[in-house]
Amino acid sequence: MEVEKGKTAKYRKEKNPVAKEVMENLKYFTKTKKILMDALKEGDKTVPQLSKALNIPGDEVLYQLMSLMKYGFVETGDLDDMDEYFYYKIKDNGKDKS
Amino acid sequence: MSEKKILEYDVLVVGGGISGGEAALNLANLNYKVLVVEKDLSLGGKMIALSKVFPTLDCAACITTPKVSEISRHPNITIMFSAEAKKIDKIGEHNFEAHVHQKPRYVNIEDCTACQLCEKACPVSVIDEYQQGLVGRKAAFIPFSIASPRAAAIDIINCTLCGACERVCPTGCIDFTQTDNDFIVKTKAVVVATGFNLFDPLKIPRYGYGKYKNVITSMQMERQLAPTRPFNTILRPGDGKMPDNIAYVLCTGSRDKSVGNPICSQVCCMYSIKQGQLLMGSLPMADVTIYYLHIRAFGKGFNEFYDQSKDMGVEFIKGKIGNITEKENGNLILRYEDIEEGKVKEAEHDMVVLSVGVMSNSEISDSFQGESLRLDDYGFINQNDILASPAETNIDGVFVAGTATGPMDIPDSILSAGAASAETTSYLRRASL
Repeated sequence: MEVEKGKTAKYRKEKNPVAKEVMENLKYFTKTKKILMDALKEGDKTVPQLSKALNIPGDEVLYQLMSLMKYGFVETGDLDDMDEYFYYKIKDNGKDKS
Repeated sequence: MSEKKILEYDVLVVGGGISGGEAALNLANLNYKVLVVEKDLSLGGKMIALSKVFPTLDCAACITTPKVSEISRHPNITIMFSAEAKKIDKIGEHNFEAHVHQKPRYVNIEDCTACQLCEKACPVSVIDEYQQGLVGRKAAFIPFSIASPRAAAIDIINCTLCGACERVCPTGCIDFTQTDNDFIVKTKAVVVATGFNLFDPLKIPRYGYGKYKNVITSMQMERQLAPTRPFNTILRPGDGKMPDNIAYVLCTGSRDKSVGNPICSQVCCMYSIKQGQLLMGSLPMADVTIYYLHIRAFGKGFNEFYDQSKDMGVEFIKGKIGNITEKENGNLILRYEDIEEGKVKEAEHDMVVLSVGVMSNSEISDSFQGESLRLDDYGFINQNDILASPAETNIDGVFVAGTATGPMDIPDSILSAGAASAETTSYLRRASL
């Protein structure tokens, strides 16, 4: 059967349903991204500040924050007064809508 | 069931790391037709993921990328990615038949321009294996920035099949209808260059890896030190603090009968010393302490490199680590035996790097039908005559290159690949006499 170019994902989905865990992972990432971005909208924050404010373990905050930085949503700010933790902020003050 | 395609080559090289690539290149330059079967999405093996090499501190990627590019473009070399040699039969002299299984990439490499629009559109985030789990990547992704080929791939296991990648792809190179492929490869000789596995530190629970987030492996530190690093700088994974007191635990999974690996991994001392020097460059205020049993600086320029790190301020403590515990602030307490003073001591560090050892990757031995590929006592591929013909295995016509034979550094891996290609050539010439 010839499948129309550009619509092959739909074709595969009909034949192979997506696993529940995959959808759960997507939901988790979308939710965490929103929470982190909302917190950063209020001002630049360090990992411990985000961890405390959102009640998410520090390692998880760092992992998700660095992923968001890689995907172009977040950028590095200044170091704190003790030269220990970086502040992170929304990239280009949120002007980049990607 | 689809019929298996039959392919013919002079040599089958299993593994597209630095050894397999070098062996393939040498053979291809002698006009032999070579097929490289690589299980991953890129050439370059573990070397392409390193920061710098010891003792010269040359950039690893700067050495690897021109090499993999030369391999990729060589007219006598064909490369199969996401592929494995499942079965290799020796039919007769200079006559092997390999059954190769290739998983789909869901992207037509020739049409992909690596524009990364698919990556940007993909809503999924999963662990990035290349970055050693320190950061995420998309399900539609380019494996890493210097991957060869630099082309996208779809992680079908984690893909939600939303079709966003397909919709934004300007060349229409994404194709979810791709299926597995099976090939029968007829070849005259085989070179095994399947490399090594890193020791899994979860096997030593007293070091706390996996439990304490600021205990990391040397490969995770290697990624943090590389220009294509996962973080904005070197950070401890537990809370994003810039570390200022880092400890290295040498011989993690090496020279340790209790974990089934009594031999020295040959590279851990030197790569830890290298990382120590790089850390002092990146974090000038940081203290670096290396806990060791013996420093093995045996190669050309190694001892000078060791001395240089001491001059730079890296502290060396001859000590055996008993256990590691975590404080509330994420700092780590190392309880160790100071071997020179004969005392048990404790020291606090804010990050610990476990210098994990080199373990065998013996999977390929099961692929050989009939006469099995002989392994040594440690699971590495046995060399018939290590002095006279270091690449020869127990099967005539099957040669071995690089760390598939045992732990070794990069220059030795390249030398070993040279020996493998020379011995393979000699074997092939015998056929034409």
